[in-house]
Amino acid sequence: MFRELDPLLHSQLRLAIISLLVGLDEADFVYLKERTEATAGNLSVQIDKLSQAGYIEVEKGFEGKRPRTVCRITAQGRKAFVQYVDALKDYISK
Amino acid sequence: MEEKKINEQESLELIARMIESTKENLEVGRGNRFLYFGYFAFVLSIVVFACVKLTHNNQFSGLWWLMFLCWGIVSWKSKKPKVVTYIDRAINSGWIVVGVMFCLSTVYLLVSAFITHSTDMSLMMPFSLLFVSVGTSMTGVIVRNHGITYLPLVSAIVSFYMLNSLLFGPPSVWWHLLFGVASVFNMIIPGHLLNVKEIKNV
Repeated sequence: MFRELDPLLHSQLRLAIISLLVGLDEADFVYLKERTEATAGNLSVQIDKLSQAGYIEVEKGFEGKRPRTVCRITAQGRKAFVQYVDALKDYISK
Repeated sequence: MEEKKINEQESLELIARMIESTKENLEVGRGNRFLYFGYFAFVLSIVVFACVKLTHNNQFSGLWWLMFLCWGIVSWKSKKPKVVTYIDRAINSGWIVVGVMFCLSTVYLLVSAFITHSTDMSLMMPFSLLFVSVGTSMTGVIVRNHGITYLPLVSAIVSFYMLNSLLFGPPSVWWHLLFGVASVFNMIIPGHLLNVKEIKNV
């Protein structure tokens, strides 16, 4: 019996965001946009979904006069990511 | 990249690709901060030495407070990085501890000078060298670079010499130049080594 893959993570852009944040202490919106090559609007929507699920925390502020959004993975997000990878391994190995 | 479902194999490939891309980031420009402080301290050491030596007025030692001005300008000009790795966080945390130690020793010496009606802050020099040496060596350990780790020990030895020589008399005017030379080992060379490491990483 396969474990169900977390639907929130089993999507290209959201998985990319979480995978980036797993390896970092924090990353800002511009960095995530560059690395995922997503549009700003789409990225913003997916970040909101991950944030609402408690997988990441989002800090909005300013650098000078420019808005700056910083994202960090939470303990809950890290746990969900580990479970997702474990479930993936099951799928691949069987 | 779009919002779309992917199969299991694609998921694993995506995860591997994204995690790999985060490994490239040691905060770019960290070495420059070492260089700003290092070169400023080096030039200032020559200026202070020349002023004290030529005028025989030890009040010019107060010019060392300009290091705080340098720190203020560097902090003000520094932009927040797009990304902070765990390595960056570890280095920043280490330097915060060094900064706190530096501030505490400054406050202690100021209070002590106030109570004893003294103007002698000469202990700041060996303390500063020791703190910076520890901070730079710690940075070297974290980024795994032997040069950055061990070169600051030269400046630590200079600080031991200064502390030891205080047992036998007041500080020498040559201390100012010695501080500049020590800055080469605890800031300037490590700064260049860090920049070389960053260029290789990008």
